[in-house]
Amino acid sequence: MKLNLTLNDEEVTLSAAQSDSLLDVLRRSGYTGTNRGCDTGGCGFCTVIVDGDAIKSCLQPAFKMDGATIETIEGLGTQDDLHPIQAAFVDNAALQCGFCIPGMIMRTKTLLESNPDPNENEIREALYGNFCRCTGYEKIIDAVQDASDRMKTDVNSAVCDGCGCFDGGDNNE
Amino acid sequence: MAVVVLTVVTIMSKPRSTGTTDGSDSADQTTDDSSAQSRAENGDYHSVSTRDEKDDARKIVTGEAKYTSDYASDFQNLAHAKVLRSDIAHGVVTDIDVTAAEEVDGVYAVLTPSSGEIPTKPYTSAGQSYPEPSPRDLRVLEKNPRYVGDPIAAVAAKDVSTANTAVERIDVTYDEYDAVFDPIEAMDTEAPQIHEPDDIENILPGADYERNIEAQVSGEIGDVDAAFDNAASNPDLTVVNSEWETPYQSHCVPEPHTTIAHRDENNRYHLITSTQVPYHVRRQLAHLFEIPIRDIRVTKPRIGAGFGSKQSMVTEPITLALSMAADRPVKLEATRYEEFHAMRLRRPSRVQLRSVVSDEGELEAIDMSVVSNSGAYGPHGMTASGAIGKKPLPLYTHTPNIRLDVTAVHTNLPIAGAFRGYGAPQGHFAVEGHMDDIAAELDMDPIELRRKNLIGEGDIDVASKILKDGSDYGRKIHSCGIEECIDRGKDAIGWGDIEQPDADYLHRACGVAVATQGSGVPGDELGAAHIKMNEDGSFILQTGAVDIGTGADTVMSQIAAEVLGSRPEDIVVQPSDTDISPFDYGAYASSTTYITGQAVMKAAEDAREQLLEVASRLLDEQPTALSVGQGEVYSTATNNSVSLKEIGHGSIYGDKKRVQVMGEASHSTDESPPPFGAQFVDVTVDERTGEFEINELVHAVDCGVAINPDLAEGQVTGAVHMSYDLAVRSGLEFEEDGTPTVKRFHDYGPPRTSDQPPLTPILVETHEPTGPFGAKSIAEVPTNTVPPALSNAIRRAVDVRINELPITAEKIKTALDDR
Repeated sequence: MKLNLTLNDEEVTLSAAQSDSLLDVLRRSGYTGTNRGCDTGGCGFCTVIVDGDAIKSCLQPAFKMDGATIETIEGLGTQDDLHPIQAAFVDNAALQCGFCIPGMIMRTKTLLESNPDPNENEIREALYGNFCRCTGYEKIIDAVQDASDRMKTDVNSAVCDGCGCFDGGDNNE
Repeated sequence: MAVVVLTVVTIMSKPRSTGTTDGSDSADQTTDDSSAQSRAENGDYHSVSTRDEKDDARKIVTGEAKYTSDYASDFQNLAHAKVLRSDIAHGVVTDIDVTAAEEVDGVYAVLTPSSGEIPTKPYTSAGQSYPEPSPRDLRVLEKNPRYVGDPIAAVAAKDVSTANTAVERIDVTYDEYDAVFDPIEAMDTEAPQIHEPDDIENILPGADYERNIEAQVSGEIGDVDAAFDNAASNPDLTVVNSEWETPYQSHCVPEPHTTIAHRDENNRYHLITSTQVPYHVRRQLAHLFEIPIRDIRVTKPRIGAGFGSKQSMVTEPITLALSMAADRPVKLEATRYEEFHAMRLRRPSRVQLRSVVSDEGELEAIDMSVVSNSGAYGPHGMTASGAIGKKPLPLYTHTPNIRLDVTAVHTNLPIAGAFRGYGAPQGHFAVEGHMDDIAAELDMDPIELRRKNLIGEGDIDVASKILKDGSDYGRKIHSCGIEECIDRGKDAIGWGDIEQPDADYLHRACGVAVATQGSGVPGDELGAAHIKMNEDGSFILQTGAVDIGTGADTVMSQIAAEVLGSRPEDIVVQPSDTDISPFDYGAYASSTTYITGQAVMKAAEDAREQLLEVASRLLDEQPTALSVGQGEVYSTATNNSVSLKEIGHGSIYGDKKRVQVMGEASHSTDESPPPFGAQFVDVTVDERTGEFEINELVHAVDCGVAINPDLAEGQVTGAVHMSYDLAVRSGLEFEEDGTPTVKRFHDYGPPRTSDQPPLTPILVETHEPTGPFGAKSIAEVPTNTVPPALSNAIRRAVDVRINELPITAEKIKTALDDR
């Protein structure tokens, strides 16, 4: 079967078997940043964004995805040009083995889209389904708060001509 | 109006810095004022003790980090494997019919215990040292299953679903035996016998397979019986007894055990595998399959964490056998259910402790008896069981009389293996709980009791060698920050200052427990490193250090950069690969920074000596007048300098003598300096229900010098998370026939963002003179102490003792009702 998807802003057609999950199809098609940890929806390592919602792709039958708009970790920044959430995870040392991190970042992205300024409790509730065994979550919570600050700064910078009117601004006279 | 998106512009700086992704804190060496004075002001050490960016951070956040499974697309004809596992706990396979499985379209190989590719000899999955201390008692496929989960047959097929279909069509007939699931019952002579000793190679003392005893060992310092006899007649001495029990704990390792095995174009066997011990895997596969070492290559890609689970060779032998049978690359990826029952777990334990203590709180004797449940097989059995005693006892090494008895017992349950802490968490629960029992008995402050008895700097520790024959001398403690750990932890948690809740049924209290561990296995490690200089002044560092997510590669680059006056980002660290990297025992026993770190330091010093010679020719000055720093070599006599880039270029393309600057070194040692820690727990208990809420977890740790404080803090918070998991979430349940009921994360319930109490790590830095730049270990020691600190806090809050993990509201309620 063929799936027509908008995947990371590109129109793609991927082949899938009837029994495939979205995770199966993504990984087989080279989107291996999305990781498989349990296949039962228990770890969140396979979290991707489908039509604006963060979902666990291992639980999503592929055949239901035809026509969907999907974002994976590959659609965010690059190593030389990180998305603010990615940069916040790097700068806060919010990662160790990294297996959970792509899913964690995708979940964070939908959180910050719906709630740009979450408090710690809201972050902890939002990331409940994304398991991490390495960090104890402390630096991950810090990273999400930092990402929230950075993205608010982004909004500010979009209307600033570089006058230094906000923290982090640059007076480029 | 001009639109400037600053973040996009600024984060395009060169990857890896000591500051932020915008590089604002990173000194740019190419434009730095490099006078001798500014070098001195900047200090000699600028790579070590910095929060250097983790070297794989950017590929992790972009999803480009490649774990074993991600290499599947490199193999066009890759087959996928599945394992048929026993669904009985004890018995014998009387018949296996694989006809229907082999007929499934797309099946390439079906293996059973009698297949030619399956070795008949036993092996151990424990990758620890050589000769293997663990018994060789496992078979790649087993015709005498001893637990629900034993591998019986294996399939390689075109895809996972075809392999699953084939596995379902294998028809196994069993003759079922009686099983035993309790280690105490298993030692009864009437209990079912699980192993035939003739089928096993076991060099351990005390093995008695008729009583299901894998090993038994004991050791004594002083005369414990005399101390208890004395106490019986001396009113100034008190005897305190206690018992402790801990259950199975799952690593819940994020990346399931995964192996890809294939025969390469050189007719050699190549395994890409999620392992902590590539060299042990190579040696053990060579032994098991009777293949020369030279014909096996083990490559470690990024690893989705280990925690000891991947210190066992579990998926590799089956995958290799399948790739031989199918004559094509094969990938085996464990399912989460397999992770929970057929990989490895933390061993359950029962500990009895009794002690003699004076009215002043001085320990006169400790008598510790351990029975641990190895499950069906014995990897790490004796060594991890012994660690239950010999890891915590050094805290109280001044006690004149100490005895330790350890018995490792088989049952028809899943296999225990290595797990972060390696027995120490079970032992600390007992010892540190017992210390609070003593304090309560003497009506003494628990911290005061500990201060009277704890080990300190300059002391000779004999307790860590209690199980060694003929060891009448101990190890000198060169660094010990345990007092400061207690002081700073106490301040951070607010010990003594906490306010009681308004409701009279809520009771709040703090608990404490202290901890120690080692830094590698003394006398049984080898780390090695090779570093070469490129013509642009950068370096390639090869070590066998196995970075399993901890950041070991980053730490190695910092150590090398420190020695070479370079920057960590200019040290390219190659991942462990047995064809390329120098030998290394692997990532376990908190050894990597301490052992391999010293090999890297020495290799870098070797390279530095060589590049100073090149610089001396370029500057026309004596090497003895030259120093490194800030990316260059400078003369302390004339202040002339030459950059590492010029040296690298000159060494290879220069007009003068050409030479490849390359350093190398090995490191092994009998030293294993202990790190120390103090865990504090602040808890509120509801006396009506037994429900409790942890307000904060503080762990202060002495790891020597923290080479990278960010990574060190991450080790502490992660370890405390696991310790909290052991305290309140651990345990596997089984049906009456031994079938596991914990199959998914939901069944096990590890802590999530929403229910993990806040963690505060405190780094208490000492300087360990035997370690690289003063470092010792950190990864394991904070894993040891939430169970005793929480149990002690609950006791101080509501005066009940919970001595069996996991600690639950139900247990507290029952204890309150019985009070």
